[in-house]
Amino acid sequence: MATLKALFTRAPGTPTAPGVHPEPLWSYRPRSDREAGDAVVSNLLLHWFPSKVFRPSLDWTYSFWLGTVSAALFLLLIVSGLPLLLLYVPSVERAYQSVKDLEYVVTFGWWIRAVHRISAHLMVVAVALHLVRVFLTGAYKNGVGQGQRREWNWVLGVVMLLLTLFLSFTGYLLPWDQLAFWAVTVGTNIASSIPWVGPTVRELLIGGRTIEQATLIRFYVLHCIMLPGALGVLFAYHMWRVRKDGGLARADHDALSAETRETAPVTTKTYTLLGVARGTAPTVKATSVEAPEQTVNAVPDLVRRAAIVTLGTFALVSILASGIPSPLEEPANPLVTPNPAKAPWYFLWLQEIVTDTTIRIGSFTINGAFLGGVILPGLLIGLLTVWPWLDRSGALSAGRWFPKDRRTQNAVFLAIVFVVLVFTVIGMYLRGPYWNFYWPWEAWPEIPARI
Amino acid sequence: MAETPKNPASADRREFLLKAGIGAGVAAIGLQTVASLRSLVPNVSYDAPTTVKIGPPGEYPDGLKFLPDERLFVFREGKTFHAISAVCTHLGCTVRAEAMSQPEQATVEGKSLRLTHRFSCPCHGSRYTGDGANVSGPAPKPLAWYHLTLSPDDGQLVVDLAHEVAHDFRLTLA
Repeated sequence: MATLKALFTRAPGTPTAPGVHPEPLWSYRPRSDREAGDAVVSNLLLHWFPSKVFRPSLDWTYSFWLGTVSAALFLLLIVSGLPLLLLYVPSVERAYQSVKDLEYVVTFGWWIRAVHRISAHLMVVAVALHLVRVFLTGAYKNGVGQGQRREWNWVLGVVMLLLTLFLSFTGYLLPWDQLAFWAVTVGTNIASSIPWVGPTVRELLIGGRTIEQATLIRFYVLHCIMLPGALGVLFAYHMWRVRKDGGLARADHDALSAETRETAPVTTKTYTLLGVARGTAPTVKATSVEAPEQTVNAVPDLVRRAAIVTLGTFALVSILASGIPSPLEEPANPLVTPNPAKAPWYFLWLQEIVTDTTIRIGSFTINGAFLGGVILPGLLIGLLTVWPWLDRSGALSAGRWFPKDRRTQNAVFLAIVFVVLVFTVIGMYLRGPYWNFYWPWEAWPEIPARI
Repeated sequence: MAETPKNPASADRREFLLKAGIGAGVAAIGLQTVASLRSLVPNVSYDAPTTVKIGPPGEYPDGLKFLPDERLFVFREGKTFHAISAVCTHLGCTVRAEAMSQPEQATVEGKSLRLTHRFSCPCHGSRYTGDGANVSGPAPKPLAWYHLTLSPDDGQLVVDLAHEVAHDFRLTLA
């Protein structure tokens, strides 16, 4: 016991070389500023943090920590996906049975599946809210720093949102039940409505003309290896860019609006050929977000909050997973289409548009699937991507909520978000058999399941 | 670059070798990418065959019979047969047939046709008349009609799901 303790602690007064961290494990309570700075470079998990952070960037109500929540959910999805990987069989004969076993036979299998499913749904929500937050606060705008490229980090973020949606969609098929089969039928047929190349794109996506074994294995590999790998790499790059851009946009905003003041003269030492010249640095008037009263040590202040958010997310998902059962419908049956057949909820606004946008001009018909499923979302994603270059508001309006000179674009953005939400709610709750409109208090008519 | 070559010819050679090296690397990665992506395009289809025997004509009642495996409606009117796809032209759901209370006589592409059913899609509410014409909802095209023949060996009906025909197609038995 004593030797074990000796291994992890340092005798007081033991001399160490500068820059070398003497302890095999990093201690949570740094005893000095020096140790706090060292903690960041000597610990693998912390090396992506800065040593000092701008205090207002840590505010709960500025960022709502939505990026951290998304990252925590991604971590949880990887961790809860590992046991599923060992229990799930990606074959059309056995997929459904293995998920059913997971749900009813494997001890705690239902809970692991529920954690995975709920984290996936919440991750779509968290990533989307993160995007909304960054847009509303204009956090993709550059401020005072040299070489800032926040707009590129925004583009990375848009790509990561698409990857998140695609990850969720590929996971949707894996249980191979009716819900999965028909959601994917509808989803992949949207791709085939693209003029000329559509049917080829669909065939490549599902590995044939019908949704079969080739589709299942493609979606499985995309879901378990390719998409998480791509998202992981982009996530690392996203975090690195945040560092290179000087942290959150809020720091730039405060630096721009702060009064310049004199820095205290400090003593300097210059090594010359003839010896050491001592003197005092000139006094300069400047603003600095690195002023001591504006910053805190990343260890422990940033780490503590990140830990609270991460553990809080884990706790919330665990509790939700204990109470919300994961649905598993009848095994996939290509012969029977459920009525109504609905896409995953985050695509329902698209399905709603797909239903409403078939336009007939004389004998000429524009396919609603192409308009609502390809053109409109393509346009929205394109606009989102290039928006940082179209946004002409001043640098001072970055990094704060509802600035005056971004009022119009924020209002339009919120209006689009609102329309998407309304369509989602209509698709979720107000569409019954044959996609007819029913109020929640209206009963759906009895429809025979088979012809 | 440690030293500047004095001879311009040797500078050319270095530059050439550098470019050739980079080019070879790019070509290698490019070809490997093409090979990997090409392997994902199936050469052999394990999909169900498109030409299917669907049983002797005598098994078909007057009116409509639905074949779930082929997602096909087969209509019989005395000695004439025709087949309409049950795949919605919008997003590929299986449409449902509803019997009409009163069959109608219509003329479709110059030929008379008795309409006994209409179709509606459970996914997005597209509606079709009894000859497959899209009348409301998001469906962009009419339902496909498929070619029917009699098999020469055992006299079964044969549908060719890869062969779309016009709406005046009928298979009339002798």
